[in-house]
Amino acid sequence: MLRKSVAYTIFALLVAASMVLSGCGGTPTVVTQISSGDTPAPSPTPVPEKKVATLIFTQEFDNLAPLYSSMWFVWTTWQMFDHWAWEFDSNNEPFPVLVTEIPTIENGGVSADGKVITMHLRKDLKWSDNVPLTAEDFIFTWQMAVSSQNTVATTYPYDMISTVEAPDPQTVVVTFSEPFAPWLANLWHGILPAHILSPIYQADGTIDNAEWIKRPTVGCGPYNFAEWESGSYARFVRNDNYWGTPAKIDEIFIRFVPDDASQVTALKAGDADLGTFISYSDVPGLQDAGLKIVIEPSGYNEFMFFTLNAQKNNPALQDVRVRKAIALAINRDGINTDLHFGLTKTPASFWDALPYYNNPPLTPYPFDPAQAKTLLDEAGWIDTNGDGVREKDGVKLEISHATTIREDRQDVQAVMQQNLADVGIKLDVNPVDDTLFFASYADNGPAARGEYDIQEWSDGPLFPDPDIYYWLCDQIPTDANPTGENWFYICDEQLDSLIKLQSTQVDPVARQATISKINQLFYEKVYIIGMWQDPDVYALGTRLQNVKFSGVTMFYNIAEWDLVP
Amino acid sequence: MARYIIKRLIQGIPLLFIISVVLFALMMSVGDPVATMGGRRVTRADDYERLKRQLGLDKPIYVQYIYWLAGNTWTKTDLNGDGVAETPGTRLGILRGDFGTSLVDRRPVMQVIAERIPNTLILMLSGELIVILGALIVGVYSALRQYSALDHVLTAFSFIGYSMPIFFIALISMFVFSYLFKKWGLPYLPTVGMFDPQAGKTFVQVVYHMILPVISMSVVSLASYSRYIRSTMLDVLNQDYIRTARSKGLPRREVIFVHALKNASLPIATIVGLDLPFLLGGAVVTERIFAWPGMGRLFLDHVNRADTPVVMGSLMLVAVAVIVFQILTDVVYAWLDPRIRYD
Repeated sequence: MLRKSVAYTIFALLVAASMVLSGCGGTPTVVTQISSGDTPAPSPTPVPEKKVATLIFTQEFDNLAPLYSSMWFVWTTWQMFDHWAWEFDSNNEPFPVLVTEIPTIENGGVSADGKVITMHLRKDLKWSDNVPLTAEDFIFTWQMAVSSQNTVATTYPYDMISTVEAPDPQTVVVTFSEPFAPWLANLWHGILPAHILSPIYQADGTIDNAEWIKRPTVGCGPYNFAEWESGSYARFVRNDNYWGTPAKIDEIFIRFVPDDASQVTALKAGDADLGTFISYSDVPGLQDAGLKIVIEPSGYNEFMFFTLNAQKNNPALQDVRVRKAIALAINRDGINTDLHFGLTKTPASFWDALPYYNNPPLTPYPFDPAQAKTLLDEAGWIDTNGDGVREKDGVKLEISHATTIREDRQDVQAVMQQNLADVGIKLDVNPVDDTLFFASYADNGPAARGEYDIQEWSDGPLFPDPDIYYWLCDQIPTDANPTGENWFYICDEQLDSLIKLQSTQVDPVARQATISKINQLFYEKVYIIGMWQDPDVYALGTRLQNVKFSGVTMFYNIAEWDLVP
Repeated sequence: MARYIIKRLIQGIPLLFIISVVLFALMMSVGDPVATMGGRRVTRADDYERLKRQLGLDKPIYVQYIYWLAGNTWTKTDLNGDGVAETPGTRLGILRGDFGTSLVDRRPVMQVIAERIPNTLILMLSGELIVILGALIVGVYSALRQYSALDHVLTAFSFIGYSMPIFFIALISMFVFSYLFKKWGLPYLPTVGMFDPQAGKTFVQVVYHMILPVISMSVVSLASYSRYIRSTMLDVLNQDYIRTARSKGLPRREVIFVHALKNASLPIATIVGLDLPFLLGGAVVTERIFAWPGMGRLFLDHVNRADTPVVMGSLMLVAVAVIVFQILTDVVYAWLDPRIRYD
């Protein structure tokens, strides 16, 4: 009897201990202004309830420290507590934040040879611990990015820089070894506080293990990082030492909800003020529940990429007429209307979300099965045996297509299969788990190896920069170059030289002209078929006001967001 | 008994070693952790090679295993890529209590796991408690009132509960008790997370938020356990010694709960003993749907990122728990059935 009661007691204690550990850890700090006087007010006035906005992220941060992550959700969160030097507005145009103006050739910020960028910092900048933010912080950030002792997520584009100098505390002079056009879109996404991390780097030789890297509690944005409970949530509270206009909402609470259906139910039930990466199929239900849907072009489009590896893929695809026939045979507008509820459009260009570079704007190939058949006939692909599939020189026009197992992609595969069958092309569809599909060349990833004739995923330029370096010939993966990113196995010398040229053109007008040529070349040679523009879809609850999104990030005006009852 | 326990624990050491080798080899084929570090794009070639080198992922599998097991303090690493190993290793290996550092968030694995275990235990122990108590009540009642109307009803509900996948129960219950109840003006339950940020993480909030996940994950197990208890109780109730006990005039309650249930509990103890170590593994589906930060979600999230140190840490924890709970189950056997002797 005694042993039984001991067992029950132990069990009860285990439950109780778990609850205490879970329930009592990390109680949020209540953000209220406390009077400095010692005497309590005789008749306490009711403290207004703090404004807490609850946001749902479908993916959790991997690491919050600048330089240490390439996740989009992390990049955008930096804007809350650690500003970018300049950010991008709802038109995807840069505007100065830490700098007084965007460096250009006209204002002398960019040298004539395009190698030197001079930035002037605001004089009122300070970290949330009241230490001034100066050019030294920029130099330190660059040094940490390129230090071989730090396991940063990427050294790009800091590894293109030869020196960063500070003639005075408010001036930063960046010198590239070669003219580097994509600097504006890629430099200074979050700054490291030198006064905190430099002593640690001096002592340890690395900042990998610094407490700030795991908990960046000192920042220069409108909010301060407060806490992050792994798998659950992250909290950001208003930075009362912010150098800019104070944020209107007291606290931003980001909840990590990986399941789409759970996110939708939480939004409908009013348990969150903002949902991210909403599926197209969930939009009508959320609208019916009174939520506002915001569709923001992300720079990404869903593309079908032809794989032109002569040793591996169907030879028919080497003929541009066949590629064009495929584009004409697929009812892409129908897919967008019927499967995506008209929320997406057919893209014509790699640069649909950057209209400056899709200029003159292209028009997608129309849905024209008759013209597709004519082109295939001209190319010599004829159905001679009446089995419904065209052939030429003993080779059947059977095309393999692969994409991930995402539901809407599988639906689209079925539509395309029918569309192409109607013009005599057999489409062999292969839905592949995304982890396996996007595995590296070294791990025999089918996409990296170019195993399928057509491979489909969402892609784009280095948005908001128009660069597409991964189409270069030297990016084709081989055993000697397994990390190559040209998974299309296309080496077009004209395209190659144009891509190299644009990456050095710091004059936007000259660069626009080069991108325009690339745009036209893509269109005429039909290396890609745009399926749908792949925007970021947000759902906003009725309480959240003044919210603006950029295609680049979602928090560029976070300080202006407000909550109404 | 003590000798038996020590013997079993010693036997567990080579078993754990074999398990760790197999799991490590399997993890190596799950995917490439560096390939997913590029965000929306593929990791750049330069970064790919650098990170592989810095994180020690460029080494052969057996070397990576040795580093994971015994550390790398006796060797040096080439961090700057000049072909010369210049930086002394700092990993101690699990044999020296260092489970490594997460490749995803760069924090010590033990810290990552320690944060999740309380959340998992609160959910899983509560669920297990409800399952065992509920199954005992339903199972014993059904056995005592075999073929009664209520037995038929409970049997029907058991089959329905057992037939429904957890994700379905979870999503439906969330939709009904959170969304629809709120819409209809009824008292409603929260959808996701452990607490309402406006209220803060209090004891009451956590209990309030765990109602739906606990119920969702309990339904299937409750259904199966109750059927099992019903079956074993029926077997025992038809034994001669129960008939003898009844004919001796022992009170009905004593016959059922002391003589019948205790003996019927032997096979149940086996099932519970097998279940308990997996409580540490968490409930993958339930935790994902209700955004509960437990071990199940940790495992799933980090498997998807091929984060070998965290996944290995989680799995080895469960492996150790399985061995320990197996021994405990044997001990409980001896307690329940005095005829069983291990010495």
